[in-house]
Amino acid sequence: MSFPSTVAWPPPPPSQPHPAYNAVPARTTLAKPTPVAAPPAPEKPRKVEWSEPVRNYVRRAFEPQNEIKGISTEEMQVKLKSIISYYAERQMHDQIDWSTYPLPQQLLLQERREATAGLANPVYTSVNVSSYPTNMPSPALTLPSSKRKSQDAEELETAAAKIPPWQKTNLQDRVTFGDGQQSKRQKKTDITKDIVSKFDQADLEKRKQRFNTGKSGTAVNPPWRQSRKDEDEVSMVPIVGTNMSLEKSYFRLTAPPKPETVRPQHVLEKTLDMLRKKWKSEKNYNYICNQFKSLRQDLTVQHIKNSFTVRVYETHARIALEKGDLGEYNQCQTQLKGLYAQGLGGHPGEFLAYRILYFVYTCNKTDMNDLLAELTIADKSKAEVKHALDVRSSLAVGNYHKFFRLYLDAPNMGAYLMDMFIERERLHALANISRGYISVPLRFVTDELGFENDKECEQFLQEHSAHHLVEEKRSDQTVQMRVRVKEGATLFEQLRAAAFSRVDIKGQI
Amino acid sequence: MQRALEPFRIAHANGDAYTIAALLSPVAPRDDPARLYDFHRASNEHQVEPEIRSALKYTNKAKKAELTKYDELAAWTDIFVKYWRAVGAILRAEEASNQGRLGDRHCIDVYDAWKELVNAFMKHLQDGAMPPWALIAMYFTANHLRKLAIKADEQISKTKGATTSNSVFQDDIVSSNVPRSEKLEDTARVYNRMFALCSGDRNPDLNSSRKWGTYYVANLQFKTYFKLKNVSLSKNIVRSVEAQSDLPPFQQFPASHRVTYNYYVGVLAFLQENYERAEKCLTQAWDLCLPDSTKNQELILTYLIPCRLITTHNIPTQALLSSYPRLKRIFGPLVACIKTGDLAGFDRALVDAEDEFVKRRIYLTLERGRDVAVRNLLRKVFLAAGFEELKEGQTEADRVRRSRIPLSHFAAALRMRTGGQANGQVIEDEEVECILANQIYKGFIKGYISREHSMVVLNKKGAFPGTGV
Repeated sequence: MSFPSTVAWPPPPPSQPHPAYNAVPARTTLAKPTPVAAPPAPEKPRKVEWSEPVRNYVRRAFEPQNEIKGISTEEMQVKLKSIISYYAERQMHDQIDWSTYPLPQQLLLQERREATAGLANPVYTSVNVSSYPTNMPSPALTLPSSKRKSQDAEELETAAAKIPPWQKTNLQDRVTFGDGQQSKRQKKTDITKDIVSKFDQADLEKRKQRFNTGKSGTAVNPPWRQSRKDEDEVSMVPIVGTNMSLEKSYFRLTAPPKPETVRPQHVLEKTLDMLRKKWKSEKNYNYICNQFKSLRQDLTVQHIKNSFTVRVYETHARIALEKGDLGEYNQCQTQLKGLYAQGLGGHPGEFLAYRILYFVYTCNKTDMNDLLAELTIADKSKAEVKHALDVRSSLAVGNYHKFFRLYLDAPNMGAYLMDMFIERERLHALANISRGYISVPLRFVTDELGFENDKECEQFLQEHSAHHLVEEKRSDQTVQMRVRVKEGATLFEQLRAAAFSRVDIKGQI
Repeated sequence: MQRALEPFRIAHANGDAYTIAALLSPVAPRDDPARLYDFHRASNEHQVEPEIRSALKYTNKAKKAELTKYDELAAWTDIFVKYWRAVGAILRAEEASNQGRLGDRHCIDVYDAWKELVNAFMKHLQDGAMPPWALIAMYFTANHLRKLAIKADEQISKTKGATTSNSVFQDDIVSSNVPRSEKLEDTARVYNRMFALCSGDRNPDLNSSRKWGTYYVANLQFKTYFKLKNVSLSKNIVRSVEAQSDLPPFQQFPASHRVTYNYYVGVLAFLQENYERAEKCLTQAWDLCLPDSTKNQELILTYLIPCRLITTHNIPTQALLSSYPRLKRIFGPLVACIKTGDLAGFDRALVDAEDEFVKRRIYLTLERGRDVAVRNLLRKVFLAAGFEELKEGQTEADRVRRSRIPLSHFAAALRMRTGGQANGQVIEDEEVECILANQIYKGFIKGYISREHSMVVLNKKGAFPGTGV
């Protein structure tokens, strides 16, 4: 019985054997794809070679014309496996006439009929089943079996390929209880289960499978196989990725992720390094953002929450900030807040400062108040947080002089955030100055409003159609550029109000 | 049972909803601490309904009142049966509490049983089976529901702690994990239905309309949403109340409803920085508030004082503050510093009471009061500059204050009052100008700055509007 190759399961039906037109002309599209692919390597451990009749039996079971409406391929496979392994465990394969043995789907159908027709004599049923004639006419024989479309054919194949683990358990049970009885008991329980949910056969079978697998699967199955089967429960159980590629495009998940599409942490760490390098060299934000999103997704589905997670979010947040992508930045910031709360390291001070600056930008007094309420003395002593708080208070009391000093002296990437509202605050300061002075030197405006040079300042005025206020004044030998601010008071006030109202609307959304 | 419901029969005959409301209380009155126990002991689950029914039924010839009509009798019976069951749950919870094994289940049972009672009220009022004054009894029981919900939530969070749900379908790891207030949120939903029940009454006869409950229920919603820290939903209540075109005139509602409603609308406006509206509403609430309700007065003033600081630049008198020790403690130092223009003191007072201010959401508003302190300081500089020399032909009456003041004077004052370099506060010359420009911009000062001459030229008539000079 030595097992020569990677094939653990008898050769399935001839490769690509049933072209659609051949089997069931009109409706095959709904039918399950005929199992084709050979089962993969992990099955090696089971050194079982099936005999030719058994393999023929299996082939028949999978033939589309033998499908019975209302019994899914999945259910059939379960039944099939239980039949074969049942006899295998008893070394009875040779004693069974496989060519006449009823197909699993027929057995299932029979069971259900028993269940619905009359429940009077369940014991009788179990006897009946074992001697069931194979050529029993089945009215629904050629109808396509299943309306489910999401199942992955390959996946089913691998599942079908193994002797299912629960059979082993049964074997152990039987050692204790004795053979025949146990099999009857088994059948009985099957029937009662059928009775219980005769309207929901598929679910029942699925549930049974899930339950059994979860119970005793570890010994036979590598862990990643398991988790894939209990799809309904997967959401609670972190998966472990097996994907080794560095890059991956982001897709929003609509179904539980598959391990082979998810990268484990050691791969993700390389990914992060690669992305950082790529960002420095190429600056292709769309690509980077997409990659980071998939990176974050992979972390989430594997429930990886550690300092590496923090590093990923911090990096993404900084890049988003650099590009002014506030949407992504905010998502990262929210996550970071939670991660910092769990004490996973990183740079909480830096990002706390960003949060403050962000609320300054959105003029969100409610959130700002909440944030202030959360601040501890330790927080406030951090340089970057202090800077951000100074920014806030300087604006709150209208001290634009101090504000622009702070702007030129922003730690980390604070300046990127302050860029978001610097124009608005410049207009605000100009509105102030235009009320307080009659005319001021251009250089004064340049200095007070934190421009790099006079030229930038002039350009700013020009952009806000205030260039007519700039004039050259000659006194003695010197030429001085001056701005007649008072004339522009109304203009600046309008510009200021417009700039702030825009944010108001944005803040409300 | 007959004896226990005797007060009901009298109150019903008188149409006295308040007594009935007091009767339907989850806590026993002080003068009769065993009332709940006795009431519950008076019957059992099998007989409670017929017993209550027969005890409620009465005919009072003297008052020409009776409770015999099938619908109304059934309604009250239902209510008192629900109450009887709720009392049972309360007693069980109390017993468990005394034995030190109070669990979630007890508190949730009490809440659920009480909710049944409130729901029964709503159902029977909707069906029109009960007299209109039963509305009053209903919203008293509804108010109790809120308190029981808070109690249940406290108990749940005590035993369970904050649990976070996490779904694998999310892209990110941390889901927002605010402490859950399941029962109070449930209460909010009950109130929503109650609000609809009251405000949506189509009965054309105003005397028997449920619309009279609108503001009371709105207030219950405010309280719930503030507790849930969901201010935005409170705004929706204001909106829907204001959208009710056919409510009876506001002035005709009971003063207690109006005070609370005005207070909440005022606080909401305050939080949205609509200080004019906030001032108006809070002032109305203040005016209506009973002289003995010091706690409510204190609450109103907590927001009205910062509000007036912004709108009219007024600060409360010491006399007013001294009637409210808590307010005097938190506002006292701040107010004193504003008055004298002590900027360093102001900053310190703000920091000292920061936690309290932030908790009450008045910190950011009070911070803006610094402008008033600055104004007072600069005004002192102006006053100190004295008067212009009398010109020929001018009399004392024509004396005008010196209106051109060197920037350096203002700078000196500002540096002095912020504590100077020793306090770590260096004020550059430009910053002095900035502060002045800001004051001018905000209308605290009238005048302009002349950089060339390093002078501030103040308006000869009313350099500091509203301060007499």
